[in-house]
Amino acid sequence: MPAAIETHALARSFKGDVVAVAGIDLEVAEGEIYAFLGPNGAGKTTTVRMLTTLLAPTGGRASVAGHDVAGEADAVRRSIGVALQEAALDPLMTGRELMLLQATLHALPRAEGRRRAEALLERVDLADAADRRVGTYSGGMRRRLDLASALVHEPAVLFLDEPTTGLDPVSRLTIWEEVQKLNDAGTTVFLTTQYLEEADRLADRVGIIDRGTMAAEDTPAALKAGIRDPRLELTIADGGADRARDVLTRFGEVAPAADGRVSVSLGGGRGQVAAIVRALDDAGLMMDSLDVVEPTLDDVFVAKTGRGLDDQRAREQEQRERSGDEQLVVEPARQ
Amino acid sequence: MRLAANARVVAALGRRSVKQTFRRPQFLAPILLFPSLLLAVNTGGAGRATEIPGFPEVAGFLDFELAGAMLQSTMLVGVSGGIALALDIEIGFLDRLVAAPISRSAMVLGRLAATAALGVVVATWFVALGLVFGARVEAGVAGVALIFVLVSLSAMAFGGLGAALALAAGRASVVQGIFPLVFVILFLSSAFFPRELMLEPAATVALYNPLSLIAEGIRAPVIAGISAGSLLEGLFGIAVVGGLGFALSALALRRRLRTG
Amino acid sequence: MSGRIATVRALAFRGLNEVVRVPGAAIPSLLAPTIFLLGFVSMFGNLTELPGFTSDDFVSFVLPVMMLQGAGFTGAATGVNLARDIEQGWFDRLLASPAPRPVLLAGMIASASVRALLPTSVLLVVAFAIGADYPGVVGLLVALVFVAAFAALAAAWGIVLALRFKTQSAAPLMQAGTFMAVMFTTSYAPLELLTGWLRAVATVNPVTRVIEAVRQGFVTGEVSWALTWPGLVAVAGLGAVLVALALRGMARSGR
Repeated sequence: MPAAIETHALARSFKGDVVAVAGIDLEVAEGEIYAFLGPNGAGKTTTVRMLTTLLAPTGGRASVAGHDVAGEADAVRRSIGVALQEAALDPLMTGRELMLLQATLHALPRAEGRRRAEALLERVDLADAADRRVGTYSGGMRRRLDLASALVHEPAVLFLDEPTTGLDPVSRLTIWEEVQKLNDAGTTVFLTTQYLEEADRLADRVGIIDRGTMAAEDTPAALKAGIRDPRLELTIADGGADRARDVLTRFGEVAPAADGRVSVSLGGGRGQVAAIVRALDDAGLMMDSLDVVEPTLDDVFVAKTGRGLDDQRAREQEQRERSGDEQLVVEPARQ
Repeated sequence: MRLAANARVVAALGRRSVKQTFRRPQFLAPILLFPSLLLAVNTGGAGRATEIPGFPEVAGFLDFELAGAMLQSTMLVGVSGGIALALDIEIGFLDRLVAAPISRSAMVLGRLAATAALGVVVATWFVALGLVFGARVEAGVAGVALIFVLVSLSAMAFGGLGAALALAAGRASVVQGIFPLVFVILFLSSAFFPRELMLEPAATVALYNPLSLIAEGIRAPVIAGISAGSLLEGLFGIAVVGGLGFALSALALRRRLRTG
Repeated sequence: MSGRIATVRALAFRGLNEVVRVPGAAIPSLLAPTIFLLGFVSMFGNLTELPGFTSDDFVSFVLPVMMLQGAGFTGAATGVNLARDIEQGWFDRLLASPAPRPVLLAGMIASASVRALLPTSVLLVVAFAIGADYPGVVGLLVALVFVAAFAALAAAWGIVLALRFKTQSAAPLMQAGTFMAVMFTTSYAPLELLTGWLRAVATVNPVTRVIEAVRQGFVTGEVSWALTWPGLVAVAGLGAVLVALALRGMARSGR
């Protein structure tokens, strides 16, 4: 099967020698959900804009749905649905007007366009609000409308740029469900995100981008497994931490963990847990708590780029608060 | 995309632009209000200028001044179209159009349709205003029709310039900053006073200013009658402005699409 | 008391920041009255040929109008800046401070009066360069006093609108208000030469008195009390009304 999206050394630099994307190779198979993960400024949005023909590449090439983005831009546009970060909605239009306009932009016959618009509005639960102006919509409603408008011509490939940034948890879940349903029905989805949970939960494959280059690309499970073994984290009761460490060293590498806990790597997999518990018991040690902790995509990010994705976001949030910017970014719950 | 489909797109975008304009009354009011106030005060303050030797034959100073007010209004229509387009760029709406399989010119043509519609509103307003306050259109009904045509075309031409500025700057505040410039440029034309009675060096600039040609083209049916010469001059002035607007818009659009 | 003066001064200086720290942005308002003068004179200059025109130099006749336009624009800008401060929440900070409301008002108005001298200076230099008659020291001083006073009035007007509408989109209303106030007077020609309806409006418009007070030095070369006191009364009257409205607006803005 031909790839839904394919790039070779795709690059983009701006005036003043600013290199936003420094040569990216990626391939997204038909029917996949591919997540492009990286911090702010990594080049995610620039890449998406090139793939959706909004920006011309300055190097390399890319094709979407079998068409070259530079040479066959119109053919690409017919095959893609786009919901970008800024939710390009006109606050003075009503939801219905926007859907109908989108249908016209894609040359859908009037009756067909109207039918699809109504069906999609129903589907994203905006049928009641359809005649209200977009300016009165909440953030979640705007994203849902943006998503619906991207689907009106039933595209083969859907591009979502940070689809849930700034949304409350409920709206976030709604979008995730919708994306999953679309993919189940056969739409290829390319989404960019800075949220680990989003990539972990939705994506078949994840591409990690940092400072304009691909740092890693694989399924979430493979990426995590490639970093390190899962760890067992324990709280030992009654100050037996030192003795516990002696026992645990037999099983694997021991290290301190957060909150005064101690952790040991499970080189032999989760099956080792039973043996470890028995060993601690034999030594007369009591455990207050016990958790198996998998590496997260943040760990993957740190391993590949030397920086933490979550740390960075925390630092950015701090900076924003200090400079008085009141943009709230809702954090998804950590696993 | 086939021609019929593109025509539908232009119509849809045109309808949207018109709706936008009337849904933002705070932008609409200045287009008619300021020039009307200026018309009133010019006529009241300088009305006796008709007695100055050398002033063209007119029924009243208002008859002379109407064309200037209409020209000024169409320039403001162009600016407001530019502001609307710049707002579209700021909120990312233009991306929606770029990512769709429509022709690049359809994006701008739709907006020009709205400026033409506003041109009709401008002509209606000032012709009515003039008649109410005692002006006469020498060329009668045919003259009024001619005025409507010239004013609408003029509005489209300035719409092109406004669009060019919007595409180049991408920010509504920059386009809005042009407002005062509109007034300045009109000083250097025969929009509000006969060129022969202006002081130098403005009089010479007015001689070569395409805005003078447009103003005089609109004025002729009011104070003189249908004249092929004035009509052609007016159309030429509009063509100069429109041509400039079209060229600059195309350049700015291409640059914007290249640099995203 | 010294604390209040310090507050007034601090606020006045903040108003000057706009000019000093963003110099490019100030250029349009600095040059606008001058450009308007040049354009207006180029167009209507030959009105002086009408019998009954009180001056044979149109520049001298019209210069006072442009001086007041510049003052009006500067004052309106104060209103726009306040609207912006309200929108961005900075004004709430001022209101929450112990500075009394009249002091805040005085500070904003004072900055407008001082700032108005900038475009006026540019205007005067250019006007004299193109042949305006020199009004004499007294005439010039009288003119500048009225310019500063009118700027204060325009600022009060802008402040009233800013407090009422709390948005920068009220700016055109602020600017149009001062523009019309100055133009609907003997701005183009002496009273007798104005067309019927405008003559009536100009007769009752208090700003006409202000224009005549400023104009006397430039057109006649001397200053007379008869032409000055109506201007003072007009300024005092408008000032009382606008300042009262502004104070009431500030008192209301807590709710």
